[in-house]
Amino acid sequence: MALTSFSFLCFFTITAGIYYVIPRRFQWMLLLAASLVFYYVSGGWAVLCFLLYGIVITYLAGLTLERVKEGSKRKGLLTGIFVILTLIPLFLLKYVRFFGLSAPFGALAPLGISFYTMSILGYVIDVSWGILPAQRNPFRHALFAAYFPQMTSGPITRYSQMAGQLFAPHAFSYEQIAFGAQRILWGFFKKLVISERLAMAVNLVYDQYPVYQGWYLVVATVCFAFQLYTDFSGCMDIVLGVSQIFGISLPENFTCPYFSRSISEYWRRWHITLGAWFKDYLFYPLQKSGLFIAYLDWSKKRFGKKRGKKLPLYTGMLILWFSVGMWHGGSWNFIVGSGLLHWFYIVSGELFTPLWKRLIALLRINTEVFSWHFFQGLRTFFLVNLGFVFFRAPSLRTALSMLASMGRVFNPRILFDGSLCRLLKPQDWVLAIFSLLILLLVSVLQQRIRIRETLAVQNLAFRWSLYLLLFAAVLIFGCYGGDYDAAAFIYQRF
Amino acid sequence: MTREEIFSGLNQVFQDVFDDEEIRVAEETTAEDIEDWDSLEHINLIVAVERHFGMKFTMGEVTGMKNVGAMADIIEERV
Repeated sequence: MALTSFSFLCFFTITAGIYYVIPRRFQWMLLLAASLVFYYVSGGWAVLCFLLYGIVITYLAGLTLERVKEGSKRKGLLTGIFVILTLIPLFLLKYVRFFGLSAPFGALAPLGISFYTMSILGYVIDVSWGILPAQRNPFRHALFAAYFPQMTSGPITRYSQMAGQLFAPHAFSYEQIAFGAQRILWGFFKKLVISERLAMAVNLVYDQYPVYQGWYLVVATVCFAFQLYTDFSGCMDIVLGVSQIFGISLPENFTCPYFSRSISEYWRRWHITLGAWFKDYLFYPLQKSGLFIAYLDWSKKRFGKKRGKKLPLYTGMLILWFSVGMWHGGSWNFIVGSGLLHWFYIVSGELFTPLWKRLIALLRINTEVFSWHFFQGLRTFFLVNLGFVFFRAPSLRTALSMLASMGRVFNPRILFDGSLCRLLKPQDWVLAIFSLLILLLVSVLQQRIRIRETLAVQNLAFRWSLYLLLFAAVLIFGCYGGDYDAAAFIYQRF
Repeated sequence: MTREEIFSGLNQVFQDVFDDEEIRVAEETTAEDIEDWDSLEHINLIVAVERHFGMKFTMGEVTGMKNVGAMADIIEERV
């Protein structure tokens, strides 16, 4: 049941209707029942069994770890066992082929498994660290793991930020429902009007490689950057909007990532909850481990205090970025494109900072003006796009071949001689570019004002004209597939 | 250990980690106030503070500390 499908809209509307009619103390139970139905309808019994396994293991983990003494060896051992037990389904469904083994469940779709596994694993680790008390009610624990709006594509949530909201009674609030509905509509616009339209050009070029070469690949990659952003952030708008209608705030996953002026900043703005998860639950414990502290001592002795402390940091980051890449999928194109390449950018950026600063001083460049910030933004966007070639290409080898083609085949004439109309009809290009300009305008406004709150105080006629215009744009210009169901969200397959 | 002694020790650690003799931390100091105190340097700082005071922060405390005052509270409790 895709989030943009008609069946999901019906399912969600009925659930929301019942949610505000029943006594409030039963609301969380309804959400649990709806979540299990959603997961069963979307994935079937086999996939539901994996979810239930994760719920049972992490529920037992919480109860067990809470009773073990803080800092004891037994606690460390038990935490390790429960972490491995929680990760087993993810390994069997996603990574078994990467390690050269045959997949025991064939092509079973691991719907949202990478997302909910991260959330429930975070719960186990938080209880082990003593941050959280264990949840004693298995059904409440199940709702945290299975809450349906966020299940298929995140955001990856923390128990501490969700528990209070999920189980609390929620009164009917016109404002929350209106804001939620507006956000869903905006998500539909991003997904159906922009992402699905750009996908046609991207799929043509990437699926028919090597028919299209050189600048065709450059154009398709830039289109993919916007397709992926509008797909994933549009999905987040729908997810957060749906959840807001239930009175539950989910964490933001994006804050205008293409405005970033460095790769580090980009990762603070793109898929925020994933980066934060790996930082808190992998990178910090690693850096604080006895092994890394011994490594730090050795490194400082060998390379001096200032340089020596960087080596363990870069090694920890290498493990972090490898894991981020691996999370996207057990194949090298993800590991390189979404992981190691970004590690290389950040580390080389740090290493070359002194040289870069000297060059800036030598050329007397003013770094406090718009033109310099714009250049930094373009540079970051270019680097991110290199990673997207690996992300979108079917294999590492094809990605490298495509990058070589972009450098080798110089055909920028295709930008002006009408060749691009082979990828998309002229009216689709116009619509895509115009929609992207609207997205740019909204993104710029988002940096300065709270758009929905600002709109809410405008006159009724103005507000509703805007909403109806957006609704009409989605209906008329949206790209729908068969049965009016759009293609699945890209991140849903993770 | 008195609060003053803790802050004196923290000043030494911060100056050492961020390589800046001018740094003086206070109860309300946060990562916003020190230019190089980012999420990467945070863990180096934690390890250095642990070493200086001969104590350990739990992982929950590492990610949950709001400011230097909260850090000093934990040190005061442990040493």
